[in-house]
Amino acid sequence: MFEAAQIVNFCRFLRDHGFDAGVSETLDSLRAAPLVPGDSVKFALRAELCSCQAEWNRFDDLFEEFWTGNAGRKQQPRPQPRHQERSTWALIGPNGASPSRAEEETKPISGASLSERLRKADFSDVPQSDQEQLERLAERLMKRVSFRLSRRLQISETGARVDLRRTIRRSIARGGDPIELRYKGKKPQQARLIILLDVSGSMSLYSFFLLRFAHALQKNFKHAGTFVFSTNLVDITSVLRHEHSPAAMRMLSQKAIGWTGGTRIGASLREFNQHHARRTLTSDTLFMILSDGWDTGEPEVLAAELAAIKRRVKKLVWLNPLLALDDYQPLTRGMAAALPYVDVFAPAHSLDSLLDLEKHLTRRVLGKQDVR
Amino acid sequence: MGYVLDRALATAVYLLIKLAKPLLIEGHAGVGKTEVAKVLAHLLGAELIRLQCYEGLDVSSAVYEWNYQKQLLAIKIQERADESVEAKVKHIFGPDFLLERPLLRSIRSTNASPVLLVDEIDRSDEAFEAFLLELLSDFQISVPEMGTLRATHRPYVVLTSNRTRELSDALKRRCLYHWIDYPSLEKETRIVHTRLPQIQGELSAQAVKWVQALRRMDLTKPPGVAETLDCVQALGALGKERLDAKAAEETLGCVSKSVEDIARIKSEGIEKILAQ
Repeated sequence: MFEAAQIVNFCRFLRDHGFDAGVSETLDSLRAAPLVPGDSVKFALRAELCSCQAEWNRFDDLFEEFWTGNAGRKQQPRPQPRHQERSTWALIGPNGASPSRAEEETKPISGASLSERLRKADFSDVPQSDQEQLERLAERLMKRVSFRLSRRLQISETGARVDLRRTIRRSIARGGDPIELRYKGKKPQQARLIILLDVSGSMSLYSFFLLRFAHALQKNFKHAGTFVFSTNLVDITSVLRHEHSPAAMRMLSQKAIGWTGGTRIGASLREFNQHHARRTLTSDTLFMILSDGWDTGEPEVLAAELAAIKRRVKKLVWLNPLLALDDYQPLTRGMAAALPYVDVFAPAHSLDSLLDLEKHLTRRVLGKQDVR
Repeated sequence: MGYVLDRALATAVYLLIKLAKPLLIEGHAGVGKTEVAKVLAHLLGAELIRLQCYEGLDVSSAVYEWNYQKQLLAIKIQERADESVEAKVKHIFGPDFLLERPLLRSIRSTNASPVLLVDEIDRSDEAFEAFLLELLSDFQISVPEMGTLRATHRPYVVLTSNRTRELSDALKRRCLYHWIDYPSLEKETRIVHTRLPQIQGELSAQAVKWVQALRRMDLTKPPGVAETLDCVQALGALGKERLDAKAAEETLGCVSKSVEDIARIKSEGIEKILAQ
């Protein structure tokens, strides 16, 4: 029943279903299968070819499907239709279209003053004509955030621990007297960052830039995760890891479901707590929510889930683009329910306000001496 | 031995021995991941070398360390000796001064392959994981002062993970994989009978049913098999003959270790859960 050719085909079949069954896995399967009795071949292949619980759970069905006859025609290609880039940008871009070149050229504004103004401008009322400029500026500034952050996070306090190994090595030439002491520095603290970005309809003017911001931040944290949510939650960590923005955005649009529409913050947080919290949250995590707080769900749910997160993390930051409005009061039911659990409540409506956030990401804030 | 093994796990362990590939076992807390290595060592009559991972685990506690006190003494002793500095260095960085930690010990075994258990690998950091990957591919460790030490007998390697973080693809590819789920009712009953034969069957069967009902409740920390065994043992120690609501409440601390879960179980009604 289990001929070599069939096993090779089976590996290919699994590969088509998203398993990481490459050449070496196939070879290993071929080695493993003859070693065990016929009724255990399935278990042998499962041990060889699975590498996580999700694959483990799917394996049985795929195995049945393949070995019960109708294998040949089941070799479907991966369902990864390539969407055209343009529509994606339209979906994410603030106002759905990029400015025409002609329109831009008619604006005789000098670069410096323009960028000065754009940095302070609310993302939601930057005119169509300045969008491109704003994006370029955002790119540049985010890079700077990246650079500054990466320096900040790497500097470690030099610990006063003597490195015995090196000290002894040095002392040999002096007859074993440890005259020159060598010190061991502290390992750099491993800060973790989790970002939850609201991409619901009410946030659509901001989410594009906030996504860039999340991307810039994620690069600097060894352990970082980014999720987008509106009515449900999507993990985009791996998407943001790809360097090239347009490609990343394209993949992102394929992943994000319900990009616009109502928000269920509480339910999204619950989903996070159920599926991701255990894996991602630790006591040195900075947890950042980027949302305007318009929650169509029950505020009690939001409060309970935030409380659960708050217990597990170092700091909970909520960035709200609406905070910049002069008459804004955090009175929406969701926002009011959330505030007791939030350590830092800050605006995030313009590039300057985003740059300002750096101060919440420094070692001092993430470090132990930060009392609250 | 007291380990109830199913066909799938038996196959994986068999391949681990035959193909000399590490076996990565994942599963919820308390389902007996670590036990696999212990039982394997027992069956093979091999030494079990255990490395418990934690964040910040470094080379000096996982691989090797020099015995500094001994080195200092040796330096003092040979102070007047007529040897060159090089010879002295060579002496104090010799095998006599090397403290073997689990990973080094696992490749230094002289007569038979030991079983190396790398417990809770997900708790170590990526740097350590990368180091481990290197070890698992070549079974050699290089000590700068001594050179490269190669395994004469390759250890059988079992890794366990609680999935608190995703392991690297490279490591997963190198390993056989096995997922241990919560056992079925029959299997868990068998496990309890095998491990605690002194407890009468009726009581342990009730306890197993109780724990299985709790697992269906979607608690934040569902009880594992270890908790079932604790619970049965506690019932035995309390001299209970059957599991009623009172006995269940008294031993609740054995099956649930979180305040929220205990509150939820109580509000749901112990009586009601038991009746399921």
